[in-house]
Amino acid sequence: MKYVTIINERRFEIEVDSDGRVLIDGEERDVDFLNLGGSLFSLITENKSFEAVIDDDEGRIDVMMRGRQFEAQVLDERAMLLMQRRGGMEDSSGEVLAPMPGLIVAVTAELGAAVAKGQTVIILESMKMQNELKSPIAGLVRAIHAEPGQAVDKNDLLVEIRAPTGDA
Amino acid sequence: MQTGPFNKILIPNRGEIAVRIIRAARDLGIPTVAVYSDVDRRALHVRYADEAVHIGGPRPAESYLRMDKLIEVARRTGAEAIHPGYGFLAENADFAQQVMDEGIVWIGPSPSAIATMGDKQAARSTVKRNGVPLIPGTEAGMPDDELIHAAKRIGFPVLIKAVAGGGGTGMRPVARAEDFAESLATARREAESAFGNGDVYVEKLLLGARHIEFQILADAHGNTIHLGERECSIQRRHQKLVEEAPSVFVDRELREEMGAMAIAAAESVGYINAGTIECMVDRDKNFYFLEMNTRLQVEHPVTELVTGIDLAKEQIRIARGRRMGPTESLLEPKGWAIECRINAEDPYNNFMPSTGTITTQILPTGPGVRVDGGVYSGSEITPYYDSLIAKLITWGETRSEAMLRMRRALAEYRIMGLKHNIPFHINLLNSISFIAGQFDTSFVERRFNMNTYEQDPTASDLETVAIAATLYAHRQRQLASQVVAPAKRDASNWKWMGRFERMRR
Repeated sequence: MKYVTIINERRFEIEVDSDGRVLIDGEERDVDFLNLGGSLFSLITENKSFEAVIDDDEGRIDVMMRGRQFEAQVLDERAMLLMQRRGGMEDSSGEVLAPMPGLIVAVTAELGAAVAKGQTVIILESMKMQNELKSPIAGLVRAIHAEPGQAVDKNDLLVEIRAPTGDA
Repeated sequence: MQTGPFNKILIPNRGEIAVRIIRAARDLGIPTVAVYSDVDRRALHVRYADEAVHIGGPRPAESYLRMDKLIEVARRTGAEAIHPGYGFLAENADFAQQVMDEGIVWIGPSPSAIATMGDKQAARSTVKRNGVPLIPGTEAGMPDDELIHAAKRIGFPVLIKAVAGGGGTGMRPVARAEDFAESLATARREAESAFGNGDVYVEKLLLGARHIEFQILADAHGNTIHLGERECSIQRRHQKLVEEAPSVFVDRELREEMGAMAIAAAESVGYINAGTIECMVDRDKNFYFLEMNTRLQVEHPVTELVTGIDLAKEQIRIARGRRMGPTESLLEPKGWAIECRINAEDPYNNFMPSTGTITTQILPTGPGVRVDGGVYSGSEITPYYDSLIAKLITWGETRSEAMLRMRRALAEYRIMGLKHNIPFHINLLNSISFIAGQFDTSFVERRFNMNTYEQDPTASDLETVAIAATLYAHRQRQLASQVVAPAKRDASNWKWMGRFERMRR
């Protein structure tokens, strides 16, 4: 299986063959990759020992190693093809979901108004902290499903934003 | 009762501090009673206490803040003392009074000391009588023209603060005299709309100031001492993240001066038990009283490690009416201690709180490492309470040794299942400014960034991460295809029964 893995804008071509051998950019690498239970993994490569906590976050793979978090994208051949057809891998979903249960403090978005990417649309209070939820894309506010004082659950849909091109 | 003998302690609290108090009580051979809300049945404090009583719903107002229920639990279980911990009812003078009226010992200061120190203006005027320096400022209730004169007298920059405000709301810094009138109008308008009270006062704005606090211990026999300072300047949105004892900024002379001031401040309210005097210290080492916290602090362990004194145990001893163990103020701390607050917050996403189950927790150990926690693998972090998972504290002969041990401990610590701020601490402990001890209270918010590390990841680091991520994705894919394809060795129950029958023949 051939993969293209992207981390910090760097691109690695990695092949895992049917015997489990690992090739990076065509060169074989000595790799021992072991699950230690849960999302904890041990990796020994060229005698160097690493530990990593690896979690799946909706298609993105978060790797926590040596105190740093890395976001990796691992694409197989089919995904590469799909991406080329779509012409990019920008996630264009304009949905703002509640990242945790909490109480809506304020709705700063206005129906029909234009919002910039990263603009605060909702303020959600949870664990005694006020959190600003931001628009993932630039566009127009199409629907608001929350009001101040409302209690919400994790992943509740709060605001929908439509990209100006209509491509959502 | 403020002091007296007792043989059982009720702890109306949860999380790591409840566990901390249970441990102190157990060391003294005193049984404890824990209380818990619907979502805390599995919590560590419930497991470790001798008795545990369910008190209501998950919201604090339905459980940990229910004074009536808590007093009823004390009556029912025969608890003769209450240790409130921090947060919840710890600084509620009414509750302290109710507890004492019941004839139960309150392990803390008197209700009047709590009430006075809890009221900003009352606290200022009370400590002032004992010669404690205050941040230069005006009284409340002054008209605009008088405030402008006062601001000029104090000297710019100044801070306009709402009398009814708190936590940064209704605060406005003013750098120059010509901007004052406009900012004053805005501040009054904001305060009026936020609190229905447009009254403001003016305070000197200290630039580059540090937050340094002194631990106080006082018993009912007239002894009041201090146990040195804690450096708490590493904070974000007024929430402390890292604390140290001692402070790189405080030499013996300053410690003596500030310690004497802290004792004077505590004595101004006849303080008994453990308390903390919080101060601002400017670049020229001028120090000012900020407030007194009339309880045990979250960051008390750093003081414990450099003094060898168990503060929670001393609190109990003092409440029993005995003389406290230490008799003299501490001017020479033993070594250095650092505490990192491990919170369920994502430092890569604006410190967004994270909730969920801690699927796995692997704690750091080894020389000089202490962890005060209230969770374990399988614990739930709910949205109802604060985001503190644990406090990681290290000790060393020197600040460098304590920092190196902290870096080692942070690297060993694994928490899985939710986002946490260990990467923040690792990044902070690599920053040159922190290592050099050069920071003030604005450091984290103004000069620190999770996108910049002292060192960029090397090419080989990135490659290693790429291998790990790819192999992870590869295995996930294989697992997924196995689930879809029929398993090879799958046998129906009928076939399995047939084979089993044949075997038994």
